[in-house]
Amino acid sequence: MAGPSPSLVAAREADALAASAVKALQAGGAQADARERYAELVARHQRRAGRIAYHYLRDAAEADEAVQDAFVKAYQHLGSFREELPFDVWFTRILINGCLDRIKARTRRERWIVPIAARTAAPGGEGGTIERDVTERVAAPGLSPEETLLGRERRREIAAALSRLPERQRSVFVLSHVEGRTSKEVSALTGLNESTVRVHLFRAIRKLRALLAHDVAGAPEELKGKRRVTS
Amino acid sequence: MSLLERLGRGHLSEAALARLWTDGLETGRASHPHLDACPACRGRYDGFARWIDGVGDTLRDEADEMLTPDRLAAQQAQIARRIEAVDRPVRVLAFPKAARAVISGHSNVRRWITVAAAACLIAGFGLGQVFPVRQLIQTRDVLAPATLTATATKDRVVRLPPEVTSLNDEEMLSDAFTRSHVVSLSAIDDMTPHARDLVLNKRNKQYK
Repeated sequence: MAGPSPSLVAAREADALAASAVKALQAGGAQADARERYAELVARHQRRAGRIAYHYLRDAAEADEAVQDAFVKAYQHLGSFREELPFDVWFTRILINGCLDRIKARTRRERWIVPIAARTAAPGGEGGTIERDVTERVAAPGLSPEETLLGRERRREIAAALSRLPERQRSVFVLSHVEGRTSKEVSALTGLNESTVRVHLFRAIRKLRALLAHDVAGAPEELKGKRRVTS
Repeated sequence: MSLLERLGRGHLSEAALARLWTDGLETGRASHPHLDACPACRGRYDGFARWIDGVGDTLRDEADEMLTPDRLAAQQAQIARRIEAVDRPVRVLAFPKAARAVISGHSNVRRWITVAAAACLIAGFGLGQVFPVRQLIQTRDVLAPATLTATATKDRVVRLPPEVTSLNDEEMLSDAFTRSHVVSLSAIDDMTPHARDLVLNKRNKQYK
């Protein structure tokens, strides 16, 4: 992740061209053409936007809505988009702000509503888990039932560990590691300076490592016994 | 880095590996004198990098499974619809013109209508107090038969009370005897024979 790859640079140039064209068409009153051109940008960034929204919200339907809202908002405010910033960075910032608003609203709601999982969970801890997503029931193709089960279990643990990270650490980890952004881009997206981004990323990794200790224990044999040698 | 790490007398800690990996994101490769010299730590670092990459892959795969082609297509269509709705603002249907003319409150018409209504109300109340309309209506209802009789005998000064109609002959005669006379007709009255005189004479003869 030393810098943007040539393909990323080319994609960004194409984005900048499309965004400028949409802006010009909007200004000229050719709304139908502007919508058509904007659909290209939507198609190009939709999957990545969906991933980010899902990592923030952990709910497929809500992530869908957040992505839609972000694209509509970006279209409405495309006039304020400055070409010196990549379109995907500008758009991702809109998306993240929308996701954070949704998380805040959800937190307010959940303060007054007892979640079903919490209600059904017995004090003994058995039978209280509820699947959050349909995808958890879908078997991965070509895997044995045991592998599928283990894989599903691992995903659930990683997702749970990620959700236990503080908000900033989670944002930085998702953007820089899962989405492959540079520190500079994460800095532009989150409003934090680059050194702070690196500190948050370091702390996020340390915490994930601690939360997923047994996952680490499943690492290759040569790593065991040498975990903590120096302080 | 700790002093031991700097001196190269110990292996790298978990924190050091994490820091090296974080720094390596920017430079493209993790570099450290001990890491280059110690195959064990190099192995640990590689394991660490594999683990963290695995976490990222797992999270990416999980999200990608959620984003099925159908879901993306439906989402794209929904975005297109919403953007189209943004370009075409919602039409607001106007209320009927007459209703709007009465309701709209920015003209003097409404003020004048209000003032006129209030004035009519006050005037009606005042007149109601001055003229006892209800009493008049009730009195008219009670006097209706007498009024009809009086209309038929307009020339009479004294009107007959309503109970006159039900008297027998005796009572009618006695009433006639006691009734006051009209002064202007007294001359004619004197010239004509009186029925009462005839009746009295007849009675006297019978008793004799």
